[in-house]
Amino acid sequence: MSNKTSSWLKSLQTRSSLAILITAAVLLEGTAAIQYIFARNGIRNEVRQRARTELQVRNLEIQNVVSDVETAVNNLQWLLDWAVSHPDSIYSTLQLIIHNNPIITGCAIAFEPGYFPDKGRWYEPFVGRENGTSGKIVRRQIGTAEHDYHTMTWYTDGLTSKGGHWTEPYVDDAGSKMMVCSYTLPVHDATGRVVGVFCSDVSLEWLADLFGHHGNAFTLLASRSGRLLACPDKTQVMTTTIQEMAAKHSDSMIGVVNANMLAGDSGDAEIKTDDGEKSYIYYSPVEGGTGWTMAVVFSDREIYRGLRQVGFNLTLLILLGLGLLVFIIFRTIRSIKKLQDANAEKERMGSELRIASGIQMGMLPKTFPPYPDRDEVTMYGTLVPAKEVGGDLYDFYIRDEKLFFCIGDVSGKGVPASLVMAVTRSLFRTVSTHEGSPERIMKQMNNAMSEMNESSMFVTLFVGVLDLRNGQALYCNAGHNPPVLAGAETRFIQQDANIPVGLMPDWDYTLQEGRMEAGDILFLYTDGLTEAENAEHGQFGEERMMERLRTLERKPRAIIEGTTEAVHAFVGGAEQSDDLTMVAIQFVHPIVNTAPDANKTAPGTKHLTLGNDVQQVPQLAAFVEEVAEGIGADASTTMNLNLAMEEAVVNIMNYAYPEGTTGDIDIDADYRDDTLTFVICDSGTPFDPTGNDEPDTTLSAEERPIGGLGIFLVQQLMDSVAYKRKDNKNILTLKKKITQTK
Amino acid sequence: MNTTIKEMNGELVAHMEGRLDTAAAAQTEKDLQPLNDCEGKNIVLDCNALEYISSSGLRLFLGVLKAAKAKGSRVFITGMNNDIRNVFAMTGFTNLFEFR
Repeated sequence: MSNKTSSWLKSLQTRSSLAILITAAVLLEGTAAIQYIFARNGIRNEVRQRARTELQVRNLEIQNVVSDVETAVNNLQWLLDWAVSHPDSIYSTLQLIIHNNPIITGCAIAFEPGYFPDKGRWYEPFVGRENGTSGKIVRRQIGTAEHDYHTMTWYTDGLTSKGGHWTEPYVDDAGSKMMVCSYTLPVHDATGRVVGVFCSDVSLEWLADLFGHHGNAFTLLASRSGRLLACPDKTQVMTTTIQEMAAKHSDSMIGVVNANMLAGDSGDAEIKTDDGEKSYIYYSPVEGGTGWTMAVVFSDREIYRGLRQVGFNLTLLILLGLGLLVFIIFRTIRSIKKLQDANAEKERMGSELRIASGIQMGMLPKTFPPYPDRDEVTMYGTLVPAKEVGGDLYDFYIRDEKLFFCIGDVSGKGVPASLVMAVTRSLFRTVSTHEGSPERIMKQMNNAMSEMNESSMFVTLFVGVLDLRNGQALYCNAGHNPPVLAGAETRFIQQDANIPVGLMPDWDYTLQEGRMEAGDILFLYTDGLTEAENAEHGQFGEERMMERLRTLERKPRAIIEGTTEAVHAFVGGAEQSDDLTMVAIQFVHPIVNTAPDANKTAPGTKHLTLGNDVQQVPQLAAFVEEVAEGIGADASTTMNLNLAMEEAVVNIMNYAYPEGTTGDIDIDADYRDDTLTFVICDSGTPFDPTGNDEPDTTLSAEERPIGGLGIFLVQQLMDSVAYKRKDNKNILTLKKKITQTK
Repeated sequence: MNTTIKEMNGELVAHMEGRLDTAAAAQTEKDLQPLNDCEGKNIVLDCNALEYISSSGLRLFLGVLKAAKAKGSRVFITGMNNDIRNVFAMTGFTNLFEFR
């Protein structure tokens, strides 16, 4: 995968993961926010409901007391009016009232100035409990000049009111020091004229228990004039007005208190303190004649404390969740990336293996029949590797009318085996171009491979040389499966025990000799055939192979295909476990001797065959010297002949056989009529050396091209140079007149 | 073929011994490699023991000469036998080199 693609993919991955993250964050946070708003509204409603309930409960509690007093006192109207007409009974009447109404801590009748002339201007008989509700009952006349009740609000209000009237609560300085409130009732004489005011004191101490802190809220109660009757801070009771308290609290509360609470409204408001703290106030008047108003105040911070905690926890959870999501996404991306990389790597390995397989198969001869223009020999071969590349090999080529062939099996499978296989095949080609005998070929290959055998891999190898002129077969078997000769009878060929190639240097391999008659087939194979396994782990085996070979038609292709068919039928669906290689060589008939061959053995001529390897130039030099010596040429002439021949032959090696190809160069020398003739013959690509331009020998060093000198020298040194193409061969003839000196 | 390079009197002297044919050319080319670092010093190709040379050898000589000229060095050939001199003459190489 290219970098561009991968970075594009990467940015796509990053973008899509970002999108997922943002979506998840928005969804989660959105849900949380909506939930928060709903919960908040719910709590707000709950609070409103609770406030209403709180206020109602207190209203009822107060009502209980207040209406008790009102009812009791209103019902005493007749008794009080009666007592006015019977002044002697006033105290006992009052005492009776105290006695019957425990809620009333004290009561008095305040008369109009001088109503009883003998009692003076101020007459107010009083009966009450000492120290509030529990004390013993006392009687006193409390109207004096110092206690000039005629001007007091409770008296004037009580006198003018139609019926009962509640006074402003006050602290009973004279008596119990308790907070009290009085219920007044005008009293009448027998004529029905109002002559005084009955006043009953009711302790308000019980209010303190009704109001105060209630969890996340507090309640308070204020009188008609705004004086605090009950609130959480006891020191403020009766000493502070609700206006003063509101002023301390916040400006917005003052408005609410003045405009609504003191006007006797009920309702609610949101108030904010100067330092930004928010509260909700719910207020309603106390029913009845007291004119009191009460309120419950919830602190915003308090009522939403739980919700805020939940919200905080939720946000924390969401963040954790998002973190987890990020982690998971990046882990996923990483593993996807890894998977992609692994796939790409696998892909690359696969494609490299396919290429390797192609290269390996390219090393093997695979055009059959390989020598369409030869009828002495025919053959067929297959190699099926178990994996992409394998360790089996086979090779063959014809040199000097001899068929050089080999088959081998590298220990192991796969890439390592294939590398050794390639080395083995190259070594076979290299060594066999200058070695004609199988055991020497084997020994050189073994030495070369043992030297570099770091990984202790070895090759079982069979090397054979079949002389196409007479069917003589030389062979050497280095631990390979014995080939089968299908001749008069079908049998394994004899074999000596030799170790496989690559195990131990300097092993002396033994040469064996056999003979192939016209029509005989030599069948070579690797253990992939005999050890082919079926699903039950049974092996194909030599017996089945021989049995099959005996029945097949005596044609290389038929033998290979027939055996392949047999082994496939045996193996069935089982996986191929080893490389499977088979080669069949049929010696059709010996070469019929041709005229040039006859020449070779004629007296006065000499012959040399070289491979296309410049390292064989010394052999050429030795040959030329031998020829020159034979005709008695002087040293200088010999050198010139040498030079000419080297240039001509090297030229052929370089141009007729392109790099990587192998081939032979045949050289014949003939001397007659004072003329030495060299005929150089090769079967390489058509190449006419005489067609080259002559080099310009007058150029300076800088201008002289490197090369192009060789054939020029040949032409300078020899009398004639002629080229012809015949029978797919390049034939170069060099002539030089040499007068024998001896 | 044997090639040894020594520095004598401020000159690089390559002593060449044996047959410089195509087979030996590759090794000899390696052996002559140090001459590429002549750094202005003159080069002497000592051919007293050179028995034979083919065009592959001539190519090497030309290579040495081109490299040396590029660095401002001169190349001298000394002790060449007649047969080899003849080859040099045929190919025009006598015009390229200075002989001692």
